[in-house]
Amino acid sequence: MEPIKVYIGTLGMDQHELGAIAVSRMLRDAGMEVVYGGRFNLPPMIVKTCLEEDVNVIGLSCHSWEYLYYLPELQALMKAQQLAIPIVVGGSVITLGDAKKLKEMGIAAVLGPGALEKDIIESIKKFAT
Amino acid sequence: MTESNTRSGIPLKSVYTPEDVKNQDYDNHLGAPGEYPFTRGRRAAAAGGWMQRELSGEGEPSRSNEQLKYLISKGQIGLDVIGDSPTMAFMDPDHPLAANAVGTQGVSLCCLDDYRELFKDIALDSVVVSCSLPASIAAASLYIIARDSSMPLDKLRGSVIQAPFYVEDCGYASHMPFRLRLRLSTDCIKFCTEEMPRFHSFVEDTYFIGETGLGAADEMALGFIEIRYIVRELLKHGMDIDSFAPRIAILVNCNMDFFEEVAKIRATRRLFARMMKEEFGAKDPRSWSAVITSHTSGLSLTAQQPANNIVRGTVQSMALVMAGVQALEISAFDEAYRTPSPESHLVGLRTQQILHLESNVAKVVDPLGGSYFVESLTDEMEERIWDRVLEIEAMGDPAELSDKGWFKRFFDDTMAGYSRRISDGSLPKVGLNIFQVPEEEDTLLKEVVEGKIEPYWSRIDEIKEFKESRDQAKIKGILREVHKKAKDPGENLVYVTIEAFSAGATMGEIAGMMRMAYDYSYDPHGLIEPFI
Repeated sequence: MEPIKVYIGTLGMDQHELGAIAVSRMLRDAGMEVVYGGRFNLPPMIVKTCLEEDVNVIGLSCHSWEYLYYLPELQALMKAQQLAIPIVVGGSVITLGDAKKLKEMGIAAVLGPGALEKDIIESIKKFAT
Repeated sequence: MTESNTRSGIPLKSVYTPEDVKNQDYDNHLGAPGEYPFTRGRRAAAAGGWMQRELSGEGEPSRSNEQLKYLISKGQIGLDVIGDSPTMAFMDPDHPLAANAVGTQGVSLCCLDDYRELFKDIALDSVVVSCSLPASIAAASLYIIARDSSMPLDKLRGSVIQAPFYVEDCGYASHMPFRLRLRLSTDCIKFCTEEMPRFHSFVEDTYFIGETGLGAADEMALGFIEIRYIVRELLKHGMDIDSFAPRIAILVNCNMDFFEEVAKIRATRRLFARMMKEEFGAKDPRSWSAVITSHTSGLSLTAQQPANNIVRGTVQSMALVMAGVQALEISAFDEAYRTPSPESHLVGLRTQQILHLESNVAKVVDPLGGSYFVESLTDEMEERIWDRVLEIEAMGDPAELSDKGWFKRFFDDTMAGYSRRISDGSLPKVGLNIFQVPEEEDTLLKEVVEGKIEPYWSRIDEIKEFKESRDQAKIKGILREVHKKAKDPGENLVYVTIEAFSAGATMGEIAGMMRMAYDYSYDPHGLIEPFI
């Protein structure tokens, strides 16, 4: 069986990379393949990479509020390309109120600041299949 | 593990006795406060206080100006300004990548008018302005504002951070080559030494590298590597060590391990003094004693039960005060979620005021000096820091290590290791990996963290209009001058920055021209064309 392929990156000028790096390592250790997008990504760049790499899940690490504005753009672009890849977001800045909104927007999973390693891995596995 | 080791892994005994400090000679290891090797402090007598400030800056410059005035009205002595993420990356608000980040994590500053607005109606000769901003730009702006208001430049007090080594790897990337980052640092220090003699133009910032989860000894070792490199560079340029060393400050991180942080600061002062006197031959005693400032650790805070972060800030700032720092900022209790709210700013400032006025911890210099434990840990910390400095320097030229990505890998490994320790519980974090409460019970202060600042999208059009309103030929001319001067290593880039900023050029344009002079792209993201 092909390993699960996950895109991990941060959006715009969100330069806090700790979470993205830690989660990438976690997923690799759990046998997944990580396409690491690093910092400075805009929605069109993410869509392009995810198409080229044929990823199963898009994981976005959020430590600034930029995700609130980039996610709708990303979703619209994906819809236009008929790209149905589940998006999982995580990060300490996501409040309970934000998480609720994100779920309503159709974000597959929201991993808040308290997410444990096993929750993150299980959540990715669940949406990848 | 936590019972027998410090946070950084230094083994601890349960009791310390005179046996543990039997090799310590008072005059050689400690000295009186205010005397070489300054282990016990920079000053002979208790200053009775320290520079109390809170990191601030959000939205457009006028909003931050209100914020600064608010903090001054509440008794804050020093100002500490941080830019939003585009500003920190030398990027104007109209850059396509900046759109949703304008003003949300700091203040948006890209031209001289912005700096004028930021400091409007604030008497710069009566405050100390600490800048977490691109150093050469901030120093140039303060210089222009002071000069234009006929304020004597020796009244200008404050600081800028020099971080050529690590900023690309774990801070805000400038996308400039190392040689240019280093030159901007040395040019800025030279400029300030000559023009703004009381200004601390050389702050070594180990705070932000500490936020990757570094141990205390590693944090300071990396700091010393950067200081040593910049000092050697300045000496190569013919500067006298005593002309700039008294203006060096170290901005350290302060995490939760109380005694380890105290020992780290005491050991740092001792190492700095020895290095300056014995290795670099400084003769002025002011060159031997490092100014230590600090920021309590944002990394140590939790998004869960934010009220607990007030306790963390108190413990950390108590360690800092007892270690004798010259200034401190407390990371706000809502740090995990947002830039500080007015509520959390005030709690941070009040925490400092309560420590200062009610607890009496600052009445006596170095109150922990002489403790068998603290002295033993200080010695241990000194040895570990210096061993690490020598070990890394033995691996090769730090500039090459930086180019090869050695530091980047080191920080990545540290970050991964830190989050593993949180995940497996070996580093306890109350409310996060132990003693958690269900989300629905975690309500205290949560209404504060739900507050958000929208990006200042209006600034994008304003800056575009500003750019179009300028005399285009004049701006192109001055930008070509920036390019020419950046090509000539004999020129000090702060002077041409002053000229260009005064003429109306923006930070993004100036930085782009400097990148081009060093054969880099004008725009590192390939999204905008050079304005020439």
